[in-house]
Amino acid sequence: MDPTVLAIWVVRLLFLGLLYVFLWSVVRVLVRDLRSAAREPATELGRLVVLASPGGEPPVGSAFRLDAVTTLGRDVNNAIVIEDDFASAQHAALTYRGRAWYLEDLDSTNGTFVNGTQVAGLAPVAFGDELQLGQVRLRLERPRVDRPRG
Amino acid sequence: MTAGAAAGPRPAPLWGIRPRLRGRELGLLAIVGAAITVGSVALGATQRLAAAGDGTPSPATLFAPADVAILATYLGALLVAHLLLVLAGRRTDQVLLPAVGLLGGIGLLLMERLPQSLAGNLGGLARTQLVWLLIGVAIVAALAVAVRNDAWLRRYKYTWAAAGVTLLLLTFVFGRDVNGARLSLQIGPLTGQPSELLKVILVVFLAGYLSENRPLLVEESTRVGPLRLPPLPYLAPMVAMLAIALGIVVVERDLGAAMLFFLVFLLLLYVVTARVSYVAIGVAAFLAGGAVLYELFGVVRDRVNIWLDPFADAAGSGYQVIQALHAFARGGILGTGLGNGLPTIGGRPPIPALHTDFPLAALGEELGLVGVLAILGVYLVLIERGLRIAAAAEDEFRAILAAGLSLVIGVQAFIIAAGNLKLIPLTGITLPFISYGGSSLLANSVIVGLLIALSDRGREIKPPPAARRRFGRSGPLLGRAP
Repeated sequence: MDPTVLAIWVVRLLFLGLLYVFLWSVVRVLVRDLRSAAREPATELGRLVVLASPGGEPPVGSAFRLDAVTTLGRDVNNAIVIEDDFASAQHAALTYRGRAWYLEDLDSTNGTFVNGTQVAGLAPVAFGDELQLGQVRLRLERPRVDRPRG
Repeated sequence: MTAGAAAGPRPAPLWGIRPRLRGRELGLLAIVGAAITVGSVALGATQRLAAAGDGTPSPATLFAPADVAILATYLGALLVAHLLLVLAGRRTDQVLLPAVGLLGGIGLLLMERLPQSLAGNLGGLARTQLVWLLIGVAIVAALAVAVRNDAWLRRYKYTWAAAGVTLLLLTFVFGRDVNGARLSLQIGPLTGQPSELLKVILVVFLAGYLSENRPLLVEESTRVGPLRLPPLPYLAPMVAMLAIALGIVVVERDLGAAMLFFLVFLLLLYVVTARVSYVAIGVAAFLAGGAVLYELFGVVRDRVNIWLDPFADAAGSGYQVIQALHAFARGGILGTGLGNGLPTIGGRPPIPALHTDFPLAALGEELGLVGVLAILGVYLVLIERGLRIAAAAEDEFRAILAAGLSLVIGVQAFIIAAGNLKLIPLTGITLPFISYGGSSLLANSVIVGLLIALSDRGREIKPPPAARRRFGRSGPLLGRAP
């Protein structure tokens, strides 16, 4: 083969190679970013926003920051007190296990619903899902990322 | 100034400027610079060898960049943009600028390689493209440095929507017809394609609207048979806006833009509500609409028929699709090398709209499967970065805006890449950052500039104050910064 043509081919392949060097370095940056994002401690695990509450407690539109375990019910010792005639004293518990949320019905009289279907025992819930206890409807939302104010 | 930044924890403010080093960006830009330089050398060597004929020139003259001035100007512009971002001192994304720089550079190499008489009135195809790229890089840097507040986007969403629709109507009334589609609008000496700008406006409007009405959209109060829909009155403005945009676009025969708008709308609706049922309804509506358009418009029928069987009219309507397929086939795995593709026929390339609609076919021929995969990989990187910026955004509006902006680039690249490969019917739309064309480059630069601005992570969290305080033990507890 003509050495000139051979040399041109080396340059051509070098160009293609450099494209992949770029992609490889970018992917390394992305992976490092994702890892550090996963390591960052979240200040809150999720939020519960009140959509409907005929009893007025909790007020509609209010949002609760969630811990790993949140109990809901009519009893004043619950983390979120629900003033509703159709809610039980110890109605349900919302727990964060591993990397997912679970809703547990605590043998309530009128049941607990996720997106309109009744929960039997333990049910996984995702951000954006709607929970209903008695007449009170709540939505699980993504945690707000705490950012320093500029 | 930059040396001081490396040594001290934080350099003293200099006329209010607090530079902040961007090491990753510089490193990635260095790779981009090396890649484009090597590509330019490969192109130059191939062209010179072909021009020399029998006598082989000496290696020193052979292995030089194709056009040193264009190469140096472009790389210099990227470096200046990087320095501006350093001086701005914001904690913003460091991957987007190099990724876009690489795509723009590849596009520039392609324009240098094509016959210069194809388009452009500023001294040929490559030089015109260079001018647009420089303006694009300036827009990216300006938006990334200057945009700190999103209220001007958020608050006036209906104003933006109205401006967008007005722009389209103006095009419809006063526009010029190119290839049977009324795409470009001439205002004085400037011509542009408003649908490129409209895609940015559409995303801004949708982000403002969806972030405000998200709770209502997730609520499922209306039931149509087995489907549960959000309350219809709240859906109306959005559907109306989309119908107007789509209707005008269809009337103007700009099918690529129509498809882009609709897909981005569907994806954003899914991002906001996480309801698969909406996407299912949307896809059904898309197919039904496609069937209606197929019956009503000859353009749509032609495109679908060409897609189904381009060889039915190989010398006529199916010509460019077939030529593109042949180009990909000639390229094979490693390609023929930049500048070494099929010679032009009578001074023009075999595919008429090579520089705007078929750049991927040309790159597929000269860089091969390996090169095309790398280019598609860079688009994936752009989408990933945009979605990461969306996930880290501080509120819904910024999240939806970032997701929408990156999806616009991703979906547009997909539509034209898949069209070139005969995966879907071909619709005339540009390959972002690579295709020749001012409107497309400027609109996409606006998108990337906004994305970089949206990725601002705010000021660094100050370290907690030292325990050594005048008031002894209570110092660390009381001294927390608010």
